[in-house]
Amino acid sequence: MPMVRFDGVSKSYPGGKEALSKVSFELARGEFAFLTGHSGAGKSTLLKLMLQMERPSEGQVFVDGDCVNTMKSSQVPFLRRKVGVVFQNHQLLFDRTVYDNVAMPLLIAGYQPAEAARRVRAALDSVGLLGFERRNPIELSGGEQQRVGIARAVVNKPQLLLADEPTGNLDPELSEEIMKLFLRFQQVGVTVLIATHDIALIERMGHRRLILDHGTLHDSGPRAGFERGDHVRT
Amino acid sequence: MSAPDSPKRQTANAPRKPQAGASTHKISLKDRLNGWAQQHQLVAVETLMRLLTKPLGSIMTWLVIAISLTLPGAMWMTLDNLSQLSNRFQASGSMSVYLKTAVQNDQAQQLLSRIESMDGVADVRFISADEALAEFRASSGLGEALDLLPENPLPGVIVVEPELALPQQDVIALADTLRSESRVDSVELDTAWLDRLHALLALSERIVWVMGALLALGILLVVGNTIRLSIAARVDEIRVTKLVGATNAWVRRPFLYTGLWFGMVGGLVSWILLAIGWALVSGPVEDLAALYGSEYRLLPLSAGAALVLLLGAMLLGWLGAWWSVVRHLHRIEP
Ligand SMILES: Nc1ncnc2c1ncn2[C@@H]1O[C@H](COP(=O)(O)OP(=O)(O)OP(=O)(O)O)[C@@H](O)[C@H]1O
Ligand SMILES: [Mg+2]
Repeated sequence: MPMVRFDGVSKSYPGGKEALSKVSFELARGEFAFLTGHSGAGKSTLLKLMLQMERPSEGQVFVDGDCVNTMKSSQVPFLRRKVGVVFQNHQLLFDRTVYDNVAMPLLIAGYQPAEAARRVRAALDSVGLLGFERRNPIELSGGEQQRVGIARAVVNKPQLLLADEPTGNLDPELSEEIMKLFLRFQQVGVTVLIATHDIALIERMGHRRLILDHGTLHDSGPRAGFERGDHVRT
Repeated sequence: MSAPDSPKRQTANAPRKPQAGASTHKISLKDRLNGWAQQHQLVAVETLMRLLTKPLGSIMTWLVIAISLTLPGAMWMTLDNLSQLSNRFQASGSMSVYLKTAVQNDQAQQLLSRIESMDGVADVRFISADEALAEFRASSGLGEALDLLPENPLPGVIVVEPELALPQQDVIALADTLRSESRVDSVELDTAWLDRLHALLALSERIVWVMGALLALGILLVVGNTIRLSIAARVDEIRVTKLVGATNAWVRRPFLYTGLWFGMVGGLVSWILLAIGWALVSGPVEDLAALYGSEYRLLPLSAGAALVLLLGAMLLGWLGAWWSVVRHLHRIEP
């Protein structure tokens, strides 16, 4: 059973043109792929469909074997708990500390505070922000905020990691570090899909590429790296 | 920046604790229940602290709740006192002693003076059969018809006023004594004014309930509106928590607790208001009672009623929050 399956998915926004048309693809468990395409091609839309932030106008979306678009709304929180997401506009809360932002998924999932603290530190450490716990995200640079968002996405050790322009505000060096971080997640069995404009980076890394062009998907690129992530978790 | 820690290492660390296995979202039921209870505690304390440390934002809400509770509370207290009083008066009203028709006026006068000397009797008055008929003729307007009667059907009556402070059982004993007199036909305790008072009290009680219901509705609206504002102020937070997997129950919880605390604080403030009101009024009431030779003391709100007031306020606060949350929360979707 693939981690993600899109089956003839189209999405039209009310009053707008078609953002996705007849998109079909699969992501195997432990696979690492990039999602590229021009601005407005439908990358964010495709990611949102996997979280039921939007629903397709046509076709079906499966995540971890469950049909997302027909899922009952009472089940959606549990879907979102196994999918870590780095949002394009990072979606941090500025009325609380970095620690509280990153700890949020754990509190929601019902972790004990001590265990949550351990995991938050590990997650912050992995994005190089150890020692930033007590800071307010508003005091941080764009790149630092983005990394807080990444820490929050990985803190609950999701099975599927989605990232929408995670390196948008980062310099090339830091971008590469972050990509390596994502790769390490893939190496422990996490399925990773990263939407990005950063063609140079993608070329360098050489992984499977899903290319969106005005809502239509072209699957291309080598599938290197997948072999490493092939050990499916049970 | 420092090199990021390897997630692999992280995962390798994790399985030491059972809830941190490789499939991380699986937490044992016990831990989940613990976590759930802890979450409730945390939210309860957090929301209460928020209210208490930043009272300015919600002080109006508390006061409105408190006043809405104090009004029916005070009326209830008043009625409670009146009905206590009326119970004391129960048998201290006058009694009518109906004489047998054969009893002559001079025999009645003898009886009268004997009754007058009895313990607990404050005053006696004799209404002869003729006087009674004249009175009846005047008040009923049946003059002509009454003339048709062969003889006066009305008995003579002795009206006995017991002492005001006479306990109820003594009044009843007195009535029994009088009833056993050979010339007495029957004895009736005159309770008409008491019946009227009771009817009035019952009506007032009904009014308190209606008023209470209206004010309860007011509390619902006020809490609902306050919660609506605090939902509006926390739209971002709600969105983000839903994005990272918060259930509706989780999102609702702080608002419901806030409503509960609103009710509780409002209820406590209303207790204070009622206590102040009681302190202000009870002195003069005691003085007044003393003038009537009574030791009546104004009763405070009973413990039961006070508890009902507080719990009712908390329930109303919770319901108001629930109503607001149901209406506004589902519109906030990521
Ligand atoms: N909420 C919305 N309502 C209406 N139209 C929308 C909405 N969101 C996106 N669109 C439209 O759908 C299309 C795809 O948008 P989407 O955000 O998925 O693009 P994208 O590939 O993520 O672009 P970018 O790289 O700029 O983030 C665009 O034409 C956009 O205008
Ligand atoms: Mg986008």
